[in-house]
Amino acid sequence: MSPDLLFQSVLTGLTNGFVYGLIGLGIASIFRGTRIINAMQGDFALIGGITAVLLLERQGWPMLPAFVAAVLIGGAAGWLLEVLLVRPLRRRGGTEDSYLLLTLGCAFAVSALVLYFVGRDSHALPGIGGEGIVVIADAAMRIHALWLIAISLAVMLTLRLFYSRTSLGLSMMAAALDPQGALTTGINVPLMRTLTFALGGLVGGLAGILVGPLITVYFDMGLLLTLKGFAAAILGGLANPMGAIVGGVTLGLLESIAIVTISSGYKDVIAMVILIIIMIVMPNGLLGRRTRKGG
Amino acid sequence: MKQSLRRRMFLPLLLLPLFAGIPACEQADDQPVKVGAVLSLTGPGAGLGGPERNGILLAQKLINERGGINGRPLEVIIEDDGSKADIAKSKAEGLIHGENVVALLGPSLTASTGAAASVTNRIGMPQLCMTGLGPEIELSYKSLFHMLPPQSLNARAMLEYLSKGLNVRQLGVLYDSGYGQLVMTHIENHAGDYGINIVAAEKFEVGATDVSTQAAKVRAAKPEVVGIIATSPVPFRNARQMRITQPIVSAVGSSSYEYVKGMGEFADDIVFPEFIVSEDPLPHQKEFVDLFVKEYGTLPKTYDAAGWDATHVIAQALSEVGPDAGSEAIAEAIRANRYRGVIASFNFAAPDMTGIELESYTYSKLVDGNYTRLPFTAK
Repeated sequence: MSPDLLFQSVLTGLTNGFVYGLIGLGIASIFRGTRIINAMQGDFALIGGITAVLLLERQGWPMLPAFVAAVLIGGAAGWLLEVLLVRPLRRRGGTEDSYLLLTLGCAFAVSALVLYFVGRDSHALPGIGGEGIVVIADAAMRIHALWLIAISLAVMLTLRLFYSRTSLGLSMMAAALDPQGALTTGINVPLMRTLTFALGGLVGGLAGILVGPLITVYFDMGLLLTLKGFAAAILGGLANPMGAIVGGVTLGLLESIAIVTISSGYKDVIAMVILIIIMIVMPNGLLGRRTRKGG
Repeated sequence: MKQSLRRRMFLPLLLLPLFAGIPACEQADDQPVKVGAVLSLTGPGAGLGGPERNGILLAQKLINERGGINGRPLEVIIEDDGSKADIAKSKAEGLIHGENVVALLGPSLTASTGAAASVTNRIGMPQLCMTGLGPEIELSYKSLFHMLPPQSLNARAMLEYLSKGLNVRQLGVLYDSGYGQLVMTHIENHAGDYGINIVAAEKFEVGATDVSTQAAKVRAAKPEVVGIIATSPVPFRNARQMRITQPIVSAVGSSSYEYVKGMGEFADDIVFPEFIVSEDPLPHQKEFVDLFVKEYGTLPKTYDAAGWDATHVIAQALSEVGPDAGSEAIAEAIRANRYRGVIASFNFAAPDMTGIELESYTYSKLVDGNYTRLPFTAK
């Protein structure tokens, strides 16, 4: 194996890792704010991605407004999910299992709706920087992938600051950790939960427009993304958005290096074995302890 | 006397059903001839089942416009197996025993085909599946006929072009764990016959969202040509993004407008051994292409044509022996016919139960996102 190939695998692993991490970031954000594992986070990305496709291809919108609208539609989807489905379920005493089932069902429904109304075609979204690549030591990386990494890091840091420095973020955290206590201090707990889902939807919509140029947008992409994002979030420490990025990058690098060092056929086996070992040694995830300290 | 009068009065009433029977018989002759179809309209195989349904419905429409089956309309009852073999089996049973269909079309996937064939084989019912020859047990099913070639033939069609069309010897392959694996097994078996050396073979799971690392590994092996066999546009994109500049040769199952759309600007310099280039149809394909475009507003590909051909094959057999001739006679008529279809010339009495020859393949090349016919013929 040449150093060039190894370096290429690192660049590819980083790109894939940030894709997983971006989805994991949304899962972690919603879990942090509501203690609900959202199995339709990947479908928020589908909603964002397909919105961008429709606005660009069918409505002829320019790229920037289309992308902004796609992110907002993702946020609106999160808001609607909480108001129309999660909140009524909570009123009827929904458990963790029922929330998981609810969001899983929604994921299938979104996929089916996109299939019915948009069709089964794969759509290639335009990337930031087009299809241009940068070549570093004979290894190639798309310019768009660099933007994806930069934006993911920016979102991660923004969320960190949001949760620790803003009154709204702190209120959302309080509503998640101690709803009764939060209510007594005047925090509108239901609104905080709705905003948490809307935030998760925004992150998902952003993931859609960032991931779309790399993997194309198609009707059943959501669940695939959710699975990888979920693995990233668990690995990093489920309630820590920063952990999701770290987990995603770890997973992406493990997969990529397994392909070049051993065999592409055993990529998932190798990656998952290492993940299991990490989870046994660090059951709260790579950044799990820090999450607890942070509350 | 009273009794006699009553008899006289009631006699016509008693005879009424007999007379009523005459128009009833005539009505039976107008009853549609029912053919069942089990297709993958949802799930992972939906990319196959959807086009197959389009081809079937178009053929049904044309056949009925031209008089149906000996004057009776043809009715194809289509069921969705959700790309699952167990559902395919139960849907086939429902069509056979519930709807009393005289033949079965489909399924779309190999596993589902085997499951449905276990039902049709018991009663000798003709089944025209949309797959190539699958597991060896299918050879024992005497009423199962294939509308597509076996994967060994698809592999040989690729190798023919590599060795005789491109005159290359060093091959790198990117293939998925489903369709790709099936074809790849036969490429490995036949590569030596064509003097082809496989310098890199990288597998990825079906539905993988990124195979850049595998593509980089293939590139590092410096092949003269790269084969990509997958049911997704992702590996084609990734190969070009990883600066694989060599020609790409793919397989028939990877050729679809849906994938070309997903490839975006990378849909260029990719060759497919396939059966129909709708942009430039052969004379015997033109009617189908024209009707398809008129009906659906899009160009058809192989799986649309498979549905069309299967419907015509069964309609021809039913017209010859009559829809009530029984399964054995209908299956025998299918075996006896040599059907010139849109896809190929079929000989269902052949050992692979399809009889498609290498000469039936046509070679297309994507140039700036458009299919163009290549002047290459496999022999």
